[in-house]
Amino acid sequence: MNSTNSTRPDHLSCREVRRILQSFLDGELTPADAERVEEHLQACRRCGLDAETYRHVKQVVSGLRRDVDPEALERLETFVEDLAPPS
Amino acid sequence: MEASALTREQRDESFRRYVLPELDVLFRVALRLTGNRADAEDLVQDTVLRAFRAADRFDGRHPRAWLLTIMRNANINRLRKRQPDLVHDEERTFGTLPAGGADGRDGPQEVVMDQVPEQAVAEALRNLSEKFRDVVMLVDIDGLAYQEAADVLGVPIGTVMSRLHRARNRIRSHLERHGLVPRKPGS
Repeated sequence: MNSTNSTRPDHLSCREVRRILQSFLDGELTPADAERVEEHLQACRRCGLDAETYRHVKQVVSGLRRDVDPEALERLETFVEDLAPPS
Repeated sequence: MEASALTREQRDESFRRYVLPELDVLFRVALRLTGNRADAEDLVQDTVLRAFRAADRFDGRHPRAWLLTIMRNANINRLRKRQPDLVHDEERTFGTLPAGGADGRDGPQEVVMDQVPEQAVAEALRNLSEKFRDVVMLVDIDGLAYQEAADVLGVPIGTVMSRLHRARNRIRSHLERHGLVPRKPGS
């Protein structure tokens, strides 16, 4: 198995990246950590492919999203504006 | 939004500014919690009303998280009114809803997917246990952040992360079996 081992404290290993990869794809990492993951993904083919696959899964799942009923939304907007009317 | 510091107009303006952009998400989550459009609208209205009454205590940070926490409590209240003996059980937090995206217009019948990948992923979602499916829907379909999903479900953020990641692995395996994603190297 060709794991990229950490040789410097600020470079992540494959194992470390695997642990936080999905958080990275969900935008839940700090900018600094996200950058470290990005750097590893550029350099590591295996982790890069892994990331692509998870991105694809996320994309297909989010493709199930449908627009919310606009009339219901409008009624709710009216409700908010009745409570807190614009001057 | 301290009452003494703001005029009524300023308070109303702040309230609209925080709440209006979140109505779409609130309605989506309410649909998941109730399983039907009428109850979902009622739940959002109840949430908005409670938020309005509590607005003086809101610090202006993280409006979505604030509103979702209120919604969770409003929903617990709603369930208790219907079944007073109900001990709040996370398993029953979500009303029944098809595994596909909710738009408030379709009833409990299956949403028909006309694309094979969507069919496969909808099937994969249906095969998940409720706990896993709920998290995937909240994060990947409804667009909630981890903490927001945790607030809705009333679980720690670590639980959201672990369920989400495991659910995705299962979806991935399902899609791999259907040849819709490349197999993991070495698997």
